[in-house]
Amino acid sequence: MNGEAVIRSLPSGVPGLDSVLGGGLPEYSFNLIAGGPGSGKTTLAHQIMFANATVERPALYFTVLGEPTLKMLRYQRQFSYFDPELAGSAIQFINLSAEVMERDLGEVLQRIVSEIERAKPGIIVVDSFRTIAAGQHDRQETAKGFNLDQFVQRLALNLTTWEVTSFLLGEYAAEEQRNPVFTVADGILWLTQATDRNSVVRKLQVVKTRGRAPMPGLHTFRITDAGLQIFPRIPEQTRNRAPQKRGRLSTGVPGMDEMIGGGVIAGDAVMLTGPAGSGKSTVATQFMVAGLAAGETGVIAVFEEYPEEYIARANARNPEIGKMIKEGKLTVIYLRPLDLSVDEALFAILEGVERLGARRVVIDSLSGFEVALAPTFRDDFRESLYRLVGTLTATGVTVFMTAEVSEAFSEARFTTEKVSFITDEIIVQRYIEMKGELRRVMAVIKMRGSDHTHEFRTYEVTPRGVVVGGPLIEYDGIITGVPTLRANPIKAKRKK
Amino acid sequence: MNSADTGKEGLSRDTPAREIARRLIRSRRPDPAGADTAARAAASACEHLYRELSRWVGPDGCHALFTRALAQAQAEHPALEQIQLRARSEPYIDGVAATIMAHGDAATAEAFESVLVHLIELLGRLIGDDMAMKLIDRSLFASERGRAGPSGTREEA
Repeated sequence: MNGEAVIRSLPSGVPGLDSVLGGGLPEYSFNLIAGGPGSGKTTLAHQIMFANATVERPALYFTVLGEPTLKMLRYQRQFSYFDPELAGSAIQFINLSAEVMERDLGEVLQRIVSEIERAKPGIIVVDSFRTIAAGQHDRQETAKGFNLDQFVQRLALNLTTWEVTSFLLGEYAAEEQRNPVFTVADGILWLTQATDRNSVVRKLQVVKTRGRAPMPGLHTFRITDAGLQIFPRIPEQTRNRAPQKRGRLSTGVPGMDEMIGGGVIAGDAVMLTGPAGSGKSTVATQFMVAGLAAGETGVIAVFEEYPEEYIARANARNPEIGKMIKEGKLTVIYLRPLDLSVDEALFAILEGVERLGARRVVIDSLSGFEVALAPTFRDDFRESLYRLVGTLTATGVTVFMTAEVSEAFSEARFTTEKVSFITDEIIVQRYIEMKGELRRVMAVIKMRGSDHTHEFRTYEVTPRGVVVGGPLIEYDGIITGVPTLRANPIKAKRKK
Repeated sequence: MNSADTGKEGLSRDTPAREIARRLIRSRRPDPAGADTAARAAASACEHLYRELSRWVGPDGCHALFTRALAQAQAEHPALEQIQLRARSEPYIDGVAATIMAHGDAATAEAFESVLVHLIELLGRLIGDDMAMKLIDRSLFASERGRAGPSGTREEA
């Protein structure tokens, strides 16, 4: 009889949600799942039920007037979490429409309580609670003396004393939060779906949870054949990260390591920018292959082409790529939907990193990534990218990103102005004209905490990859794109 | 059980739906048997299933199911012409006695069995055979429990 009351946590059965909730659903809590039509309330409730219901402690699903039960069952059973074996025994559906339409709140409460006494459930769901309230709208006080406030109070009391974890589902708008159920509820999960141009983005917010520290903010989610999948803003792996050793990693590009002081610093975020066709993806692939050759594992996230095309092209230059994929040392993640959220991309990449124990991540390219995002996320692309890169590097992986910059031939743009601040190292590629030929040059313009060369160096894109050449010390005006040969280059060099 | 074939030919076979329907009817047979035992038991099984399924899908949802099943069965069994379904009423099925009187015990029993078969098949098409079986099993269990218990009551259609 001593000690504190322990509030156990129930698994929600929804990937990512337990993390957002601060450890799971508090047992015996009285919760509201609110949101507009089609926001996923019923699906979320079903996932929670199927994750927790047992024959000994079943779940009771009370339906009222909203979606007809038969239709709900017909559609819900399409989800992979729906186990028909549990229906009827561990999960029981009970219809309250007669009590709500023909009787009063007292009768509704009595029916719920009598069903709870009969079945001794661990979980109950009332779908939709809003229709109970609406059905009683014109009856402020019933024959049994209940108004809506009192009904909610008594329902909460009964459910808690019966040691039931409960979920009321309702279509509420944000401005309705003065409703008594919001005050009484121990937890409120708010689901929204916002349309922006042609894309729809779903978000979940834990508005309230008693006795827990939920993850703040809006968390994007998707509904797939498996049900809801939440993408927390701060993934679990980041919070549990261990300090990593910092060494140098070879880029795999002959001549490039020397330019950056001996290789990429492990755990850094590197950005390689350049115009179309300058060889960014080739360098990124070489960086990955160098890691694989050193016994590391890696993840490549592609946004601009299908993985099969990407792999075929990379494999043509580096046959190791296909072999490493087959051996499970490399994974190529395809992230090309136009309603992508940063958190979803982060989740997919982190999942790959976790699964393979990856040390290197290539994101090819940021330009494609930005296009793949739902329009609503493009507005805060800088903030999102900052979070993505910060989260990835916090796990200890080295992130190599490519970004396309459009350049007028005579004007050098070193980076996309939006994102250079998030990186530790920036290497730029560009075209120049020399002796009537188009040539490629690269330079290091940023290297945190390390020395690096300051000269432009030529490079070639060969069938085996990018090879860096020498500096153009005999030329001036390289940055203009049209360098000129010095009158006395040797003298000039000596003076230097 | 889940078949779009709801024609007479399909129903004449002992399909799983028909077997379940017969089990339901057997569970409602009065003891001792009377002259109209079979028809009364079949109608009682429909009444019982209506009440049990109403707990799950609501009286209106259940009424919609029975209305469709009755319409399908009526096409095959003219004996059901006088049968009326009264949602949220007790009894749910009206016109049983008149039907027995007009068509006899065997034809009426067969007709109500057909209603049950159509209903079970319809439910199977809507929510899957396995789920439909679960629901019917629960109904059957409740029926058998009610029959065995000291306070078990039986409806008169």
